[in-house]
Amino acid sequence: MWHALLGPRPVRSERCLDEHFTNWLNDRVSATDRLSLVFAALADPTRRAILAELTAGDATVTQLTAPLPISMPAVSRHLKVLEGAALISRSREGKWQRSHLEAAALWEAAAWIERFRGFWDSSFDRLDAHLATLQQEPENR
Amino acid sequence: MTAEAPDLSVSRVFDAPRALVYRAFTDPEQVAAWWGPTGSVRPLDEMEFDVRPGGYQRFVTVFPDDPSIRAEVRIDLADVAEGRVLDGVMRVRGRLPGGFAAFETRFRFEFYDEPDGRTRLEVRQWLPPHVGGATEEGWRQSFAELDAHLATTAVS
Repeated sequence: MWHALLGPRPVRSERCLDEHFTNWLNDRVSATDRLSLVFAALADPTRRAILAELTAGDATVTQLTAPLPISMPAVSRHLKVLEGAALISRSREGKWQRSHLEAAALWEAAAWIERFRGFWDSSFDRLDAHLATLQQEPENR
Repeated sequence: MTAEAPDLSVSRVFDAPRALVYRAFTDPEQVAAWWGPTGSVRPLDEMEFDVRPGGYQRFVTVFPDDPSIRAEVRIDLADVAEGRVLDGVMRVRGRLPGGFAAFETRFRFEFYDEPDGRTRLEVRQWLPPHVGGATEEGWRQSFAELDAHLATTAVS
């Protein structure tokens, strides 16, 4: 279902207060580790629901809580996890903090998984041919 | 185990009996014949298989047309049911093709009988649970480095 969250590939916006800090940190956390954070964040149905909600546009924690059967502090905790995985960014306008979907991290995760689909498909094509050859041999009939 | 969603699921039916398909995954000479990216080979003298619960499968993937690539595959088997299930963690490192970084993934192959002597293979793949712990450690190290970095910056 999470593939449905992916819209057109976006240009990643750098909303972070300290871009240098983000870049510095990203350089030091391997791509696999970043993906682990993304997969861990996506493993929760509530967080996937929040991401789905954010595909419609930026939203405050109040707006995000409305359709969910959980409290605002609980939603805030989920937002922290999503932010930690760079799946969302948060910006403050006056007293309201709005969450924004950062689809780049989702794309990275989807691409990682999808590469394996291609890997298995081409390997299994060869396995098909291999099994056919094997069954021509008398000892396997 | 399904708590680690999202994952990858691939289902494929092979026109061969189950024992033969299972052997294609567990016999070094068989694995050498098909597993891996197009154009790759797996030298037999670098294959080491011990297929049983708690066992392992190790092999190396190289490309005759591109000597710069050498992927080392190490599979640690957790759950093995002869002819039916192979389950474990696959670690791939070395110089990988296509910009793939070294990675670990949990996988599960399940083999099922289909009518007319065919076999259905179900592949599931997801990040292993313990990677989460490694990540936390990764962040801790990063923050320790950041502390040191900030300390230096503050002085200068």
